[in-house]
Amino acid sequence: MPATTKTNFQLVSNGILNENPIFRLALSMCPAVGISTTVMNGLMLGIAVLFVQVFSSCTIALIKDYIHPRIRIPTYTLTIATWVTVIDLVLAAYMPAAYKEMGIFVKLIVAFAIITMRLEIFACKNTVPASFWDGIGMGLGFMFGMMALGFVRELLGMGTILGYDVLGFRPLLFFVLPAAGFFCVGIMMAMFNYIEVVYNRKKRAKEI
Amino acid sequence: MKEIIRITIGLTVSCLIAALVMGSVFIITDKAKKHNEHVNVQQTMLGLLGYTKQHPAPSDLRLYTIYRYIITDGDTKTLGYMLPVLRGDGVGYQVVVIDLDGQFVNQFKLNINPEKASEPTERSSALKAALKPPKIFVYSDSTIVAKLGRKRLAYLLPGEFPGFKTFINVMLALDPSFEIIGLEITEQEEDPGLGAEIKQAHFKNQFKGKSFEKMKELHVVKEPLPEEYKKYLESKEGKESPIPEGELDVIRSKYQDQDIYALTGATISSKAVTNGVKNMVLKFAYRINRLEAVVSRQHVPVAF
Repeated sequence: MPATTKTNFQLVSNGILNENPIFRLALSMCPAVGISTTVMNGLMLGIAVLFVQVFSSCTIALIKDYIHPRIRIPTYTLTIATWVTVIDLVLAAYMPAAYKEMGIFVKLIVAFAIITMRLEIFACKNTVPASFWDGIGMGLGFMFGMMALGFVRELLGMGTILGYDVLGFRPLLFFVLPAAGFFCVGIMMAMFNYIEVVYNRKKRAKEI
Repeated sequence: MKEIIRITIGLTVSCLIAALVMGSVFIITDKAKKHNEHVNVQQTMLGLLGYTKQHPAPSDLRLYTIYRYIITDGDTKTLGYMLPVLRGDGVGYQVVVIDLDGQFVNQFKLNINPEKASEPTERSSALKAALKPPKIFVYSDSTIVAKLGRKRLAYLLPGEFPGFKTFINVMLALDPSFEIIGLEITEQEEDPGLGAEIKQAHFKNQFKGKSFEKMKELHVVKEPLPEEYKKYLESKEGKESPIPEGELDVIRSKYQDQDIYALTGATISSKAVTNGVKNMVLKFAYRINRLEAVVSRQHVPVAF
C-alpha cells in the first residue's frame, strides 16, 4: 500500500465505518467477545486502545526508517508493550481514580491484533500526522464496536444501560456469558456488512 | 552473516531502548504508585469503620498492625507474631513466638523503625537479623487493630479466598466480640453481571451485623432477596434513606439472623464469599484468643 492520499477526516471515518476493526476487519475478536458485556466495559477498553493505538502509531511512523525490515514485528510488539507499561504506570501513579476503573483493561492490550496490524499496514508507510489520524480513527472505531456490542449484551442480559435499570427485569441472562459474545459479534457483523453492501451498490450504480 | 549481525544489533538496541523507557518511567512513578495504594487501603479501612470525608476519623483513632509469620526450624513449626508494643513514649515491635498448641515459646525485641514496618522488605531484614539460620520464616497474614482512645474499636482483616474464577480479595471489619461491622471486596475478577455483583451493596451488606454465633453456621439460601431487605441494604450506601427511621430497626432485627441470600445466577460466587468470610472470622477468633492468652500471661505491653 503506497502512502495514503486520504484527508484527515477520511482517515478517521475510515476507521469507524469502512474499516471498522471489529465488524469489517474482524480483528481483536477476543476482547470483542470477552469484555463487551456492558457499555461501560466497552467504553473503558475503547479508551485504553485509543491511547495505545495513537501513541504506538506515532512512534512507529517516527522511527520507521531505522527499523530493519526483518525485525519489524518484534519492534512493533516492543513498542506496544512499552506504551502499555508506561500508560499503566502513569495512570497508577497520578490518576488513581481512573486506574481503578481502567487498570485491568490497559494490561490486556499488549496482545491485541488490531494495533500490530495497523502499525504493519499503515504507520510504517505513512507520515506521523497521517498515522496519528489513522490511530484516532481505529481507536474510535474499536470503541464504537465495543460499545455497540456492550449495549446489546447489557440490555438483553441484565436489562440495564450503563448500570441504570431501564427494563426492570433481566430478559436473557445468557447474553452476559462469554458464549453469547460470539452470537452478538456474528449478527452485528452481518448487519454491518449488509448495510455496507447496500450502500456501496447504490454508490456504484450512481457512478455508472 | 552481515545480515544476521545487523538483525542481532537491531533487536538488542530496540530492547535496550524499550527497557530504558520502561525502567525510567517505573522509577519516576513508583513512589506515587505506592502512596496511592497505601491511601487506597487506608480509605477502605476507614470506610469500613464508618469514617468518610464528611465524617472524618477522630484524631485519637490509632491503627496497629499485627503481622503473623510461620517460623520453620528443622521439623518444628512455630508461629511468630510481630506485635506493636508500647516502648517509652512511642511504639516498637516485639516478636512473640507461640507453638502450634498455643503454648508460649519465647519472645524478643525487634529492631525496626515502626514507620517502616509496613514495608515487607524492611520487616524481613529485621527478622533475618533476629532469627538466625537454619530458622526460616514465611509471611502469613496481618491484622489491623483499630483503637479509639483506650477502647478497642475493631479488627480489620485483609483476606483472600478462591472465588468462581480466581481469588477474591476482601477487607473485613469485626468488632471486639467478632460481630461483623462491614465487608468490602477489594479485588475480584468474577464474571461481570453475574459473580461481579458480589461487590454490590445488596450482597456485601448482608454480612453486616452477623454475630459470631450466627457466623458459625452461616449458609447461603437460593431464594430471591426480599424487596424491603434490598432497599434496607442499599440505603446504607446512599445519603437519603427511602425507609422511615422507625422501620429500619424492624427490618434489621427481622433479617439479622437470616442466612445469606445468593445472587441470581451466581450461586458459586455467593457461596465462595460466604464460606471465605466464615473461615476468616472463625480462624481469626481462634488465633486472637490464643494470642491474647499468651500476651496476658507473659505481660507483654502490647499497644493494641
